[in-house]
Amino acid sequence: MRFRSGAAYYLKKLAAFALSVFVLSAAVFALSRLAPGDPLVSYYGERAEKMSPQERERTMERLGLNAPLHVQYVRWLQGALRGEMGISFKYKQDVLEVIALRLPNTLLLGGIGFVLLFVLSLLLGVLCAWHEDGPLDRVVCRAGTVLSCIPEFWLSLLLILIFCVTLKWLPSSGAYTIGRAGDVLDRARHLILPLVVVVGSHLWYYAYMIRNKLLEEARADYVLLLRAKGLRKRAIVFGHCLRGILPSYLSLMAISVPHVMGGTYIVETVFSYPGLGTLTYESARYHDYNTLMVLCLLTGVTVIFCNMLGQVLSERVDPRIRREEAPVEVNAP
Amino acid sequence: MTDQDRFAVVGILNEEPAPPPRRRPSRAPVLSALLLALIVLGCCFGGLMTAKDPAYMDLANTNLPPGGEFPFGTDTMGRDIFSMIWSGGRVSLFIGFASTLVSTLIAVAFGSLSGMAPGWLDALLMRLTEILLSVPNLLIVVFLQSLLGTPSPAGIALVIGVTSWTSMAKVIRTEVRQLRNSDYVVAARCMGGGFFHILRLHLAPNFVSSIMFMVVMNIRGAIVAESTLSFMGIGLPLDTISWGSMLSLSEKALMTQSWWVLLIPGLFLVATLLCMTNLGNALRKRVNQRHSNL
Repeated sequence: MRFRSGAAYYLKKLAAFALSVFVLSAAVFALSRLAPGDPLVSYYGERAEKMSPQERERTMERLGLNAPLHVQYVRWLQGALRGEMGISFKYKQDVLEVIALRLPNTLLLGGIGFVLLFVLSLLLGVLCAWHEDGPLDRVVCRAGTVLSCIPEFWLSLLLILIFCVTLKWLPSSGAYTIGRAGDVLDRARHLILPLVVVVGSHLWYYAYMIRNKLLEEARADYVLLLRAKGLRKRAIVFGHCLRGILPSYLSLMAISVPHVMGGTYIVETVFSYPGLGTLTYESARYHDYNTLMVLCLLTGVTVIFCNMLGQVLSERVDPRIRREEAPVEVNAP
Repeated sequence: MTDQDRFAVVGILNEEPAPPPRRRPSRAPVLSALLLALIVLGCCFGGLMTAKDPAYMDLANTNLPPGGEFPFGTDTMGRDIFSMIWSGGRVSLFIGFASTLVSTLIAVAFGSLSGMAPGWLDALLMRLTEILLSVPNLLIVVFLQSLLGTPSPAGIALVIGVTSWTSMAKVIRTEVRQLRNSDYVVAARCMGGGFFHILRLHLAPNFVSSIMFMVVMNIRGAIVAESTLSFMGIGLPLDTISWGSMLSLSEKALMTQSWWVLLIPGLFLVATLLCMTNLGNALRKRVNQRHSNL
């Protein structure tokens, strides 16, 4: 019985996920095609301007840009289901190849950033909650608020100014020095500043959430009971309070994935780091439809998936929420 | 130790129980409010402080460090940063407030509609917001911008407002769902009160305090969004001066090591954002003051 309800729950989530992805793809498709701008320019560059109307007509026909929107969409969908995403207008290469070239860079930056954020925000949150309203907590809170107010791009600029221009310690752009792609140390040196920005600009937001959740937990009655039983503060905080906030911590972290991703996109453009962010930016500016579609789907699917994961985590790990979410229609008119 | 001391412990201690340590009442953020007021006033009346035209490119005086005739220096195109700060701040603040107005209006309408709607419609609307949330903002912004033509402050404000209402709508929806079954709302509906009547008289006064914090944060977010977009070159163009478009010169400034082009607009930006955050946090803290059991 229990298993069946569980399976139904996940099936429902899966269906919602599939539906969301479908609507998302249709929306992105329509948006990107309706946006003014000449896709031929991104394909042929300057030459597109010099084409005769007949030539234009023929090229549009050949690239399938003439058909009505829904026909184009169905065509695209058929290809996509077979794994053919078309070619990038700008790079004249299979879109998946273009993306595969850059994906590892973004995964490296975002992945390490996420893990650091995952660990550091919890540590910082616990540290602050432990010393609630003490001098340490107050200093960290102040510093954190200031840090969270600095826009990502400006923090990047500041770091470049200090560490690359003035001190000349670290490289300011790219993922590796040309010709030294395999050098791990060189890559690490290029990663330091982008990582600092990715983690730094999000850290306090999450640490503060965790701090507040913990403080809320500390105000629960069971903490009073535990103290009356004679438990130490450490045992209460790590053994009981942290367990109490675990569901919200996990779902918070699931929701943080899209934020970190958005952050990496901005950071990538400032540091000219060859990742998905710079690619998205380029393809949006140059109307590289096929690439843009796949990138948007990739981003969108990640966002939808992480949001759902957050929901599932908080609903399944924490039985309290399930009960609250049950439809309550008391004295509805 | 005298005998009296030694035996004082035995028996009932004649001591008042120590009063629980009082939490310091959270102070109003006077400093932040003052600084913010100063910046806002400066942006409104900044033109009176300097005779220089912020858009004038003085090619004889490009890239000058701060001091003398130019208190904040000049940028790589020879414009006076001091006067640019004030007129650019006006644009940045305008975008912050205008786009928050747009997003708050959408959020209130959408959130309360979704909250009052029957279950299936509510689910549909919420799913829609989730999908909207998952479309990369960059794409929507580029799309809307190309619809609006040449970027202008009002256009950017609209674009940012249209893309940043979802989280506030969710909060309002939750609040409204809790309120909709309360007796006074039911009574108002029984007496034939329309949607907007109930929204204005019964719902809005109840959720306004819970979204105040989000409204302030929304202004902050809009200013950040504008500066980021302008910096990346898809927001305001260089000749429309805002703090963001001033910073889009910083790549060039980095090469010539003119730190002031990068530092001064950024400091104003961060100071404004910080003041707003402090004000927002003070608003939020007022709601929540209980004692720790630890």
